[in-house]
Amino acid sequence: MRAEDELQAPEALAALGASALRKEEGEAAAFPGPSPGPRMNLERVSNEEKLNLCRKYYLGGFALLPFLWLVNVLWFFREAFLAPAYEEQGQIKGYVWRSALGLVFWLVVLTSWITVFQINRARWGALGDYLSFTIPLGIP
Amino acid sequence: MDIFGSMKLSLERSAFVSYELKEAINKTSLQRFCVFVQRRCIHKAAPMTELSAPLPYFQNAQMTEDSHMSNTVRSQNDGRERQRHEHSERRRHGNPESETNGQPQGGTRQVVEHDDEEDEELTLKYGAKHVIMLFVPVTLCMVVVVATIKSVSFYTRKDGQLIYTPFTEDTETVGQRALHSILNAAIMISVIVVMTILLVVLYKYRCYKVIHAWLIISSLLLLFFFSFIYLGEVFKTYNVAMDYITLALVIWNFGVVGMICIHWKGPLRLQQAYLIMISALMALVFIKYLPEWTAWLILAVISIYDLVAVLCPKGPLRMLVETAQERNETLFPALIYSSTMVWLVNMAEGDPEAQRRVSKNSNYNAQTPVNQNSSNVTDSDDGGFSEEWEAQRDRNLGQHHSTPASRAAVQELPAGASHMHEDPEERGVKLGLGDFIFYSVLVGKASATASGDWNTTIACFVAILIGLCLTLLLLAIFKKALPALPISITFGLVFYFATDYLVQPFMDQLAFHQFYI
Repeated sequence: MRAEDELQAPEALAALGASALRKEEGEAAAFPGPSPGPRMNLERVSNEEKLNLCRKYYLGGFALLPFLWLVNVLWFFREAFLAPAYEEQGQIKGYVWRSALGLVFWLVVLTSWITVFQINRARWGALGDYLSFTIPLGIP
Repeated sequence: MDIFGSMKLSLERSAFVSYELKEAINKTSLQRFCVFVQRRCIHKAAPMTELSAPLPYFQNAQMTEDSHMSNTVRSQNDGRERQRHEHSERRRHGNPESETNGQPQGGTRQVVEHDDEEDEELTLKYGAKHVIMLFVPVTLCMVVVVATIKSVSFYTRKDGQLIYTPFTEDTETVGQRALHSILNAAIMISVIVVMTILLVVLYKYRCYKVIHAWLIISSLLLLFFFSFIYLGEVFKTYNVAMDYITLALVIWNFGVVGMICIHWKGPLRLQQAYLIMISALMALVFIKYLPEWTAWLILAVISIYDLVAVLCPKGPLRMLVETAQERNETLFPALIYSSTMVWLVNMAEGDPEAQRRVSKNSNYNAQTPVNQNSSNVTDSDDGGFSEEWEAQRDRNLGQHHSTPASRAAVQELPAGASHMHEDPEERGVKLGLGDFIFYSVLVGKASATASGDWNTTIACFVAILIGLCLTLLLLAIFKKALPALPISITFGLVFYFATDYLVQPFMDQLAFHQFYI
C-alpha cells in the first residue's frame, strides 16, 4: 500500500467500520466485558482483501478440505450477510453460499460413510480390519 | 423459576468477573505501590520492543509489548503520547476518583502530576487486562495437557527416551540416578543453546529461507505426525473404532488448515487455538519422553538460561531481539502467541495487509514484506489515531474529512463532546510458544507423577499464573522484552516440591486422623 492509499484508507475504513463498530460498541456497552473478538479484525481489512481471502478459502476447500469451507462460512458470515452493503459483498456472499453447500455435501458423505462403517465393521471381517486404524477390544 | 433465575444471574455475574477483576486490580493498594515505583520509569519517550525470539522447539521466549521499533515512528509515538495524555485528561475529568475533583484547571505541576497518574493508571490498566488475556490461553493449554495425561495412559507410559537424554534413570543407586539426570539435562540444554545460536546466526546473515523452511518442517511435524499419534491414542483409550479413510481426512483437514492459519492468514481465534494445540502436543511429547529428575532439572536450568539469554547483553536471544529491532522486523510470528491483533494506536492503520503481516507472519519470507513493513511505518499520515477512534470521532462529530489543518484545529480543542472510549485492544502482549510448552510440561508432570495429585496440580497451576501475572507487571514497568519462564517456573517448582512433600502428607495425616482445621 502506498502513501495515497494510506491517506484514503482510514477515511474509507472509518466509514465502513463506523456502522459495524457501532454495533460492537452497542454490544460492548450492554455487556462490559472484554473487548470484541476477532471479528473486529476483518474490519481493518480492505474489501478487495476480504474478497480475495474468501475466494482463496473457497478454492482451497476443493482440495478435500471441508474444514476450510467451514472456516470460510463462519469467518465471512457476518461480512456477507450482516454487514451493510458494499461493493464486493455480493461476491463474498456467493462464495459463502457455495462453501456452505460444499460443507453440507461433505457432511452428508462423511456421516453416511461413518455410519456404514461403524455398523458393518464387524460383519465385514477381513476388510473391516484392513480399513480400521484402531480396533476396539472386546466383543463387537 | 427461582433456581433458573439465580443460575442465570450467577452466570452473568461470572461473565463480569474478568472485567471486575481488572477494575479491582486497578483500584487496590497495588496500584498505589506501583504508582510509586512507576513514577521513575514512566516518561520514556517511546515504547520499545515488540518482539519475542523463540527457538524452534525449545522456545525460551520472552513477553513483550507490541510497539514500534522505528525511529520515524517515534515522532508519531510522541504525538500519540500527547494524545493519550489529552485523552486521559479528558477521561479523568469524568472520573469521580480524580484527584482534582474534576476541575480542569490547576497549576501546571498538578497537570503534570495528573499525566503521571494517568500514565500509570493506563499502564496498569494495560497490564491487568492483558494478564487476563494471557491467562486464558495458558490455562487452556494446561487443561488440555492435564486432561490428556489423566485419561490417556500412553503419555505416562515409559516407552524409552529421546536421543537428547541418553542416560537412563533406572539406576541402582540414587547417586547414579542424580548423575545421569544431570548429564541428561546438560546435553539437552547444550542442544538448546546450540540451536538458539544457530538461529541467531541464520537470522543475522539473513538466511530467511532456511529459517522459514525449518519452521515449516517443524509445524508440519507437529500438525500432522504428532496429532496423528495423539488421535490414535485417544481412540484407543476410548475404545473407538476408526477407519483409515476418515482418519486421513480428519488429519489432512486439521493439518492443512493449521498450516494456513499459522503461516498465512486466518481468523485470529483459530490461529490462537492452533498455537495452543501444538504447544499442548509438544508438551505432551516432553512429558512422555523425559524421565522425572531430568525433567525437573531441565525446567530449572532452562529458566536460568532464559534469564541469561534474554537479559545479558551478549545473550543470543537479546541479540536476536536487537537485530530484529535494527531491521524493523518482527520475529517468527509463527511461533509467537499474540493475544490480539496488533491494532496499535501508533501504527499505520492504512495498510492492513502489512499490519496483519507484522502481527502474524513471514516477514522473513522475502524482502517485500519487510519493505512494506517499513513503508507502513513511514507512510502513515493518520497522526497515530486508531481506526476505532476515528470511527468514534466520526460517530460523535459527524463525518468529515481529516486534513492536516482540521486535525490541528481539533487537537487544540478542549475536551469537547468526544468521549474517549477505553481503547480496549490497543496493544497486545505476545508470549512465545516455548513458554506455553514449559508451563504445560511443569503442570503435566505434576499431575502425572505427584503423590499429591490434584492438590499438587492445582498448586502448580496457581503458581504459574501468579508468576505470569508478576512477569506482566514487570513488563508493564520495564517495557522491554522479558523472559517469561524464570518467575513462573521457580514458583511452580517451589510449589510442586512443597506441596508434594510437605502439604500433601500433612493433609493426608489430617484426613487420616479425621482432624478438621
